[in-house]
Amino acid sequence: MNDTLNTPLAWVNGSDAPELNSIDVGFMALTDSASLIVAATQGFAQPYGLNINLQRQPSWAGLRDKLVSGELHAAHSLYGLVYAAQLGIGGPAKDMAVLMGLNQNGQSINLSSTLQNQGVITPEALDRRTHQSGTKLTFAQTLPTGNHAMWLYYWLASQGVHPLEDVDSVVVPPPQMVEHLKAQRIDGFCVGEPWGASAVNQHLGFTLATSQTIWPDHPEKVLGCTLEFVQQYPNTARVLIMAVLEASRFIEESLDNRRSTAQMLSGCEYVNAPVEDIEARLLGEYSDGLGNHWQDHHAVSFHRKGEVNMPWLSDGMWFMTQFRRWGLLREDPDYLGVASQVQQLALYRRAAEALDIKVPATALRSSQLIDGKVWDGSDPVGYARSFKLHALADAEPVVADPVADE
Amino acid sequence: MLRILLINDTPKKVGRLKAALIEAGFEVIDESGLIIDLPERVQAVRPDVILIDTESPGRDVMEQVVLVTRDLPRPIVMFTDEHDPGVMRQAIKSGVSAYIVEGIHAQRLQPILDVAMARFESDQDLRAQLHARDQQLAERKRIETAKGLLMKMKNCNEEEAYTLMRRQAMSRQQKLIQVAEQIIAMSELLG
Repeated sequence: MNDTLNTPLAWVNGSDAPELNSIDVGFMALTDSASLIVAATQGFAQPYGLNINLQRQPSWAGLRDKLVSGELHAAHSLYGLVYAAQLGIGGPAKDMAVLMGLNQNGQSINLSSTLQNQGVITPEALDRRTHQSGTKLTFAQTLPTGNHAMWLYYWLASQGVHPLEDVDSVVVPPPQMVEHLKAQRIDGFCVGEPWGASAVNQHLGFTLATSQTIWPDHPEKVLGCTLEFVQQYPNTARVLIMAVLEASRFIEESLDNRRSTAQMLSGCEYVNAPVEDIEARLLGEYSDGLGNHWQDHHAVSFHRKGEVNMPWLSDGMWFMTQFRRWGLLREDPDYLGVASQVQQLALYRRAAEALDIKVPATALRSSQLIDGKVWDGSDPVGYARSFKLHALADAEPVVADPVADE
Repeated sequence: MLRILLINDTPKKVGRLKAALIEAGFEVIDESGLIIDLPERVQAVRPDVILIDTESPGRDVMEQVVLVTRDLPRPIVMFTDEHDPGVMRQAIKSGVSAYIVEGIHAQRLQPILDVAMARFESDQDLRAQLHARDQQLAERKRIETAKGLLMKMKNCNEEEAYTLMRRQAMSRQQKLIQVAEQIIAMSELLG
């Protein structure tokens, strides 16, 4: 795998050398930032003449602003964050780019131990609780246009609960979720690991659903940047993809590599959480806090021979269909056109092929989600309109609004 | 006169900023409660301008405020390049983000941001670069050297040597270069 390390000067001297020798890359304190952290700290970019400076960010909104303003060159990003910026939802529109997928799976919906004690431990019990009781439950996600809002909404809707009408929805930054659950300011949350495992390990809550039960091998974090960055620094962008691809492959090469990745992540400069909270679910060993233990076959994955890293057009399009479904987009965008502009397929192909990583011939993939629906990217307009529960905003827009309930 | 909501949820000192804004004649409401309650507080206080630390985790909660108010008579929007590119860049540099009620002229915000930029304690350490650029080539050579030493010591191939070094580095939360230096130092000692 280290062929490139043998001949580093070929890259530095050749015309393919990166235009920049050092770039600033943002990340949030989450297990799924692993491949970026490993790439930056374990010498994966250096052979190409690139230095990756990691910059941990305190909020997704701050990360986005720094990407858009150029203060960060690239970042560990939510799919939803990149596409909301592209479409100008909640802020000015900016042409964005997805360089590659960073991971699939590994998020979860967790409820408080108070609800557990009341017997609300199944989707059916939650459905009854939300429709019968007077006070609404409050669920936290991480950004109104983010992946976790979309997973939470999708899951609730699949259980017959309208996420914008039957419950209240609030935003809480990932590392603060557990604290808010403990203080009973929220009844549940949807977030990336290790924060679900952290709630379970502290006996403050239980995992009701993993994101991979909503969509096995769902798209999650991506390596995002502006389109301007790709156009200005194409070699830097390609070399960055290669370094992160190699780091992703390295993490999955052995159990020992996964274990040491967990140890690395737990450091205070990175995720800053106990290694116990990170390691088990990184290895696919799940405990839900209700006494169930299992080896998860769709646990967080970083590479899987490139399957995870391919910037599938259908993955980007899916997030736009959900923006449409929940009223964040008032009309249908040119789903395929926008995704084709954002997903950097050609650049990814060059990077992957240079590392002998297989690139699928088609950029659409087919998946069956928890509600039985099949998503393959072929009819995004119809798919966005096909849901029983929705907030389609052709007439009147509806957005999760805790204020209006008062 | 513009009413300002000053969000106080990071260790930076906003006390002086509040006093300076009041001195400059603004009505300032200092919000130091729970950031999760921000949507309700904004509704109750009805500010014209909201100032928040760019590095605050509460920025994500402000995103919710923006989306919740977008169909109300007084939508709150992020103050951006489109309003005034010069002022926006200054604000980002000073570490303060501004949200305004749509329709307020950028010029009316200028004196507020002038005060904020002068008074807000921007933590430059947070922005410090983690590496010096010219170290890069030297580091690469040190790593190569350590890899060579390890291959000899362990009688292994190149890929195995890299894996051993990386695993060691990661389980101690160190960078590859740190382990490389340790290997070189140990080799010199035993040399």
